[in-house]
Amino acid sequence: MYAVELDNIVKKFGNVAAVDNVSLKIRENEFFSLLGPSGCGKTTTLRIIAGLEEPDSGVVKLHGQDVTDVPTHKRNIGMVFQHLALFPHMNVFENVAFGLKMRKVPKNEIKNRVKMILEVVDLSGMEARRINQLSGGQQQRVALARALVTEPSVLLLDEPLGALDLKIRQHMMVELKNIQRRVGTTFIYVTHDQTEAMTMSDRIAIMKDGRLQQVGTPTEIYFKPMSAFVASFIGEAINLIRGRIQDGILTTQDLDQPILVNHGENSSEAYLAVRPEIINIDSELEGLDNIFDGIVRDVIFKGSYIEYRVEVGPRIFVVHQHSRSLMQRNFTVGERVKIGWRRSEGAIIPSSSI
Amino acid sequence: MKKTNLFLMIFTVLVFIFLYAPIVIMVIFSFNEAKSLGVFTAFSLRWYEKIFTNTEVWIALYNSVWVGAVVTAVSIVLGMMMALAVTRFNFVGKPILDALILIPIIIPEITEALSLLVMYVFLNIPLGPLTVIIGHAAFDVAFVTVVLRARMAGYDRTVEEAARTLGANELQTFFRITLPVMYPAILAAGLLAFTLSFDDLIKTLFTTGPGFKTLPLIVWSSAARGGVSPDLNALSTFAISISLLFAVFRIRAEKKMRGV
Repeated sequence: MYAVELDNIVKKFGNVAAVDNVSLKIRENEFFSLLGPSGCGKTTTLRIIAGLEEPDSGVVKLHGQDVTDVPTHKRNIGMVFQHLALFPHMNVFENVAFGLKMRKVPKNEIKNRVKMILEVVDLSGMEARRINQLSGGQQQRVALARALVTEPSVLLLDEPLGALDLKIRQHMMVELKNIQRRVGTTFIYVTHDQTEAMTMSDRIAIMKDGRLQQVGTPTEIYFKPMSAFVASFIGEAINLIRGRIQDGILTTQDLDQPILVNHGENSSEAYLAVRPEIINIDSELEGLDNIFDGIVRDVIFKGSYIEYRVEVGPRIFVVHQHSRSLMQRNFTVGERVKIGWRRSEGAIIPSSSI
Repeated sequence: MKKTNLFLMIFTVLVFIFLYAPIVIMVIFSFNEAKSLGVFTAFSLRWYEKIFTNTEVWIALYNSVWVGAVVTAVSIVLGMMMALAVTRFNFVGKPILDALILIPIIIPEITEALSLLVMYVFLNIPLGPLTVIIGHAAFDVAFVTVVLRARMAGYDRTVEEAARTLGANELQTFFRITLPVMYPAILAAGLLAFTLSFDDLIKTLFTTGPGFKTLPLIVWSSAARGGVSPDLNALSTFAISISLLFAVFRIRAEKKMRGV
C-alpha cells in the first residue's frame, strides 16, 4: 500500500493549469521531495494532498483510502508551512498541544506526548516560551513538533527551511532526515532547492509547468536525467550535446569528431548529457572513448573543485576537476588541453522526452 | 541647526497651547471657589459636589454607559462580519460595498443626524433609547470595520490553515485562532466605538425621545439654558476624564495590535 497516491490530478487557476495531470505514488516511510522552480505547481500539489486546495479533477488517496472529498481536518496529516504559521497567541506548549486538544486527548497524555516530541526536536524545557522569544531554528522545530505530535500518517513540508540562513539550514537538513528516521513517517517535502532535496530524499519528483518531469532517486536523477530540463535543472552544470545517434555513435553539427555513446537504439534527435566532473582534463589523455582537443577559456577556483571552460570547436565544455593541494598543476587560460570521458558515463536523453 | 530646533520647539509649544488651552482653562475653573469665570479665587470641589449630588447627572451617566455598551457590542459583531466579508470573499458589488462603508465617516454628522430623524419619522418609529442606539451603531460600524479591515489585510491566514491541518474544524479555527489573534484589534475597535458613542451629542440630540438624556446632552442643555456655569465645567471635566481613559486603553490596544 502507498502512503499517498495521486491519480491524474488537475488544478487550474483561471486558465493556467497549476497542476497538470499529475500522478504519483509515494511509499510508506519514504522521504519524498517535490522539486522544481517557483510556479511549477509543487506547492499546489502539496496543498491538494493536505486538502487545502480542491483539485478540479483526479483522485487523492491516503493509505489506499480515497480522501478527495474529505476535509483537511479529518485527513490526519501534519503540515509544516513555509512561514511556519505558529500561533502567535500561544506559547510553545500550547502550540504543540493544539492538535492533541482538537483530538480530545486526555490532559495527562497531552503533557507526556508534548514532552516527548519536544525531546525529539531538542526543545526540552522550552514549553513556557513565547513564540517571539525563539530563534528562527527553534521556531522551525516547534512547527515540526506541532505537526508531528499527533502522529500523522503523512507529514507535508512546504519549503520549511527557506527562511533560515545557510548554516542553520544545513544543520536542519541533517536533523530533518534524522527525525524522519526516528519517527518513521512518510515525509513529503516541497522545495526549489536541489541541495535540500538531494540531501534528504529517498526519491525526488521534479516538476515544471505543473507537470511531472521525472521521479527517481537522487542519483538516478543526477546521472540519468530523462529530459533536457531535468539535466540542466539538477546539478551545478551539465554539458548537453544535441545530435543524431546511429549504431552507438552520436554525430553533431558542432563537432567534426563523432562521439561514442552507450545507446542501442538509433535516433534522429537526442541529447547526450555529460556531467562536468566525469570529464577528465589533462595535457595528454589516453584510454578514454571520447577525447577532444580544446583550449582553456576560463578557470574558476570554487574551493573543492576547479571549473574549467574549455573551447572545442564552436562549443564550450564545462569541466570540473577536484582540488587537491596548492601545489596542484592547474591549467591556465589559453592553454591547449585534452578532455575526455568514457562512453558509459554519458547519459542519453531520447528525443521523445526532449 | 540649533536655530531651527528652537523655532520648531516654540512652534510646537504654540500649537499645543492652541489645542489645549480651552480644556486646561475649563479644568482649572472647575475647581474655582467663585462662581465667576474671570477670577480664580480659591480651590474648591463644590461644583463637583453639586453635580455628583444631582440625580439627573447620574441617570445621564448611566444612560451613556449602557447605550455605549450596546452600541459597541452591535458595532463589533456587524463590523467583524463586514471586515471578514470584504477581506476574505469575492462577490458582486464588493468594491462598491467597500467604498460605501466609508461614507458615514466622511459625511457631516449633522447630515447623519438629520437623515436618521427623517427615517424614524418616515417609518413612524417612536424616539427613545432604541433609536439612539440604532443611530450610534449605524455609524460606529463604519469605524469598527475600518479598524478591523486594516488588521485583517495584514493577517497571515496560514495560521488558520495550520489549525485545520491539526484537526480543527472551521468553527474551532475561528474561535481558537482567528478571534484570539484578532483580539487586540477587536479591543481597539470596541473602545473606539464606545468613545464615539459616549461623546456623541448631535445624533443623540436628533434621535432621542422625551426624557432620555445622555451625559453630553445634559451638558449641552444646561449650557443652552443658563449659559456657561462652573458646575458645567466640572461636569465636562468629568466627561473628558472618562473619554480620556478609554482613549488610553485604545492606544494601548492599538500598540499591542501592531505588536509594539
